Amino acid sequence: MATRTLKSSPRLLPLYARAAAPLIPGACLLPFVPGAGKSIPELELTLQDVRADGAQVADYAKVCGFALREHLPITYPHVLAFPLHMAVMADGRFPFGAVGLVHIENRILQHRPVGIGEPLSIKVWPTALEPHARGRAFTLVTQVSAGGEVVWEDFSTMLRRGGGSASENKVGPGERKAADRDGEGSPAAGLRPSATWRLPGDLGRRYAAVSGDRNPIHMHPLSAKLFGFPGAIAHGMWSKARCLAALESRLPDACEAEVRFRKPIVLPAKVQLASSLSEQPAGAGGSAEAPAGEVVGDSAGEIRFALTDAKKGTPHLDGVVRPVEHSEERSTGK
Amino acid sequence: MIDKPRRVAIIGGSRIPFARSNSHYSHASNQDMLTAALESLVARFDLQGQRIGEVAGGAVLKHSGDRDLTRESVLSTRLAPETPAYDVQQACGTGLETTILIANKIALGQIDCGIACGTDTTSDAPIGVNEDLRGIMLDLNREKSLVGRAKQLTRLRPGQIVPSIPRNEEPRTGLSMGEHCAIMAQEWGIGREQQDELAARSHHNLAAAYERGFMEDLVTPYLGLERDQNLRPDSSVEKLAKLPPVFGGPQGTMTAGNSTPLSDGSSAVLLASEEWAKERKLPVLAYFVDGQAAAIDHVHKREGLLMAPAYGMPLLLERVGVTLQDFDLYEIHEAFAAQVLCTLKAWEDERFCKERLGLKAPLGAIDRDRLNVNGGSLAAGHPFAATGGRIVASLAKALSERKPGRTPARGVISICAADGQGVLAVLESAGGAQR
Repeated sequence: MATRTLKSSPRLLPLYARAAAPLIPGACLLPFVPGAGKSIPELELTLQDVRADGAQVADYAKVCGFALREHLPITYPHVLAFPLHMAVMADGRFPFGAVGLVHIENRILQHRPVGIGEPLSIKVWPTALEPHARGRAFTLVTQVSAGGEVVWEDFSTMLRRGGGSASENKVGPGERKAADRDGEGSPAAGLRPSATWRLPGDLGRRYAAVSGDRNPIHMHPLSAKLFGFPGAIAHGMWSKARCLAALESRLPDACEAEVRFRKPIVLPAKVQLASSLSEQPAGAGGSAEAPAGEVVGDSAGEIRFALTDAKKGTPHLDGVVRPVEHSEERSTGK
Repeated sequence: MIDKPRRVAIIGGSRIPFARSNSHYSHASNQDMLTAALESLVARFDLQGQRIGEVAGGAVLKHSGDRDLTRESVLSTRLAPETPAYDVQQACGTGLETTILIANKIALGQIDCGIACGTDTTSDAPIGVNEDLRGIMLDLNREKSLVGRAKQLTRLRPGQIVPSIPRNEEPRTGLSMGEHCAIMAQEWGIGREQQDELAARSHHNLAAAYERGFMEDLVTPYLGLERDQNLRPDSSVEKLAKLPPVFGGPQGTMTAGNSTPLSDGSSAVLLASEEWAKERKLPVLAYFVDGQAAAIDHVHKREGLLMAPAYGMPLLLERVGVTLQDFDLYEIHEAFAAQVLCTLKAWEDERFCKERLGLKAPLGAIDRDRLNVNGGSLAAGHPFAATGGRIVASLAKALSERKPGRTPARGVISICAADGQGVLAVLESAGGAQR
């Protein structure tokens, strides 16, 4: 296991160059260009004494719809760890470049809210490649600690399309089965939409500016087309952040927020949020007859939610938030 | 329906530390800050998921997009979303007015508990589209034909890019509040030294309140700020004497030291009926007794812009049945040191009290050692609509610390506001004989 401690957050621009370099035929023969390895290297990057910048957090909160609080938005540490994610995937021993990887799942485990000015240390490592119905997948694990205690974890599962049990370009039986499973197994299937959001065409650039994630598929319709998308697509992590911002007042301090990214959101778009909160009958304990001051709603339970296209109903994301008991096993990585 | 008004308990308050303009909270909106104050109140009194009878709040500087600011803030908190809320605006009196409104509804039995709150930012201030441009855009929108629209577009001029920025200016006099107060200071003969003394004492009192832990359950840190940013514990009359005058010309007596700075912040106060508090085993800090708003004609008659509280006080005293000297604590909002001193002098002035207030005798002097004992706006800062909540919570707590006597300890609040208005209220301690 190679653990590298970085002195400062890596600069993203050179990393993008390296992430995209494998697209040039033969470039992976160079030692610093990913693509040479057959499997994911054992690698761990750490960064000490990271502090979120208040003004940047405020900008992020605005783009995602969070209130500016004493604590970081639940998704914000992902932004702090993003340069490390890029650095891991730009490593010369990596079997493929980051460009072209698809973020298919993200799970955040917040043990407690993280203060804005709190000094944090971030550790990132990739898991081994595993076969997936549509190719091969691995997970980038992020652990954020404060004062020696793990306070926040993130598991980002990335898919490398092709070479899986289903062929890449043709919908094989395996793929069909996986897609069916996706639809039926949706934890938010059948929920009633509670909010409609109009997403502007420049949303990708806006989120890129506050998150540092400048993947060309998000930046402009033309650059997105180069990678086979019909137009610029919204960041998956933006859509997760936006959903959690809408549920913010109902999130327990210690919770787990897991989402699956389904079909990409092509910008501009009109999308709808549905959540299991709307399954609660109106006035459950909160009816006008109930005495004021009564406790209403169920903040302890699990919240399922989904984001879909407002017109076509195309699923974009579905997820679930579960409260985490403090006694529960802290670390799940290694 | 109830037969007679109920007693209204002040359970407690919570606020974020006040910041100077364009500093710690420059990226926080009014809604962010109001949410933070409400959330800190929720945490302090365990209000998660509770349906509060009503939340009244407000801001003086509001964006056009801040529709139902208070309700929107409530929806961002852990309070039950079934909590109704509304906005109030009465310049710097907003915060105290929301307290009076909530207290009245509790007294009448319309609600059992409520939250009074306020917020203001001078950093994230609203900037409007140039008025001419706005007119053209609206006309353009009304035009149906292409030619008509093209015609409207020809009215556009480069100068219309200049936005309209809110100014600290009285709409009907064109003078800033500071300039108005400078005129008052001159009319009442308020000297520089007494203003600086009041300012220094405000800083010392607030610093002492923090030192002895008085502020611990009144203030919740926000965005890295733990104490009011404007507070200068080492302030002194000597240091303040060095500052140049900012209002009233070169001979003026008002400086940046004895005037409140532009500030950002928010506050919230929880009020309830006695039964509601008892059911939840929440101790009562103090009781709300009565409130009074007043206004003067600062436009056409010769009266100082910030003198309205002087007029409201005798009305309040008569209704409560006490004299100005019957209070254990006085909270007079220090918009400017000169405002406080003019008001006190007016109450002592026989002619003013007779001719303008219509009283037989002056209200008289107060014991200055009972004035703003835990600091005032000069030290804490003054985010307009948040000041009322700061004072109500702080006075209620100070009253709760008084040793129970034969009669309850009483405190009076006096807040001057723009546009010639003022809001006052009386609180009394829970201890002592019941009124």
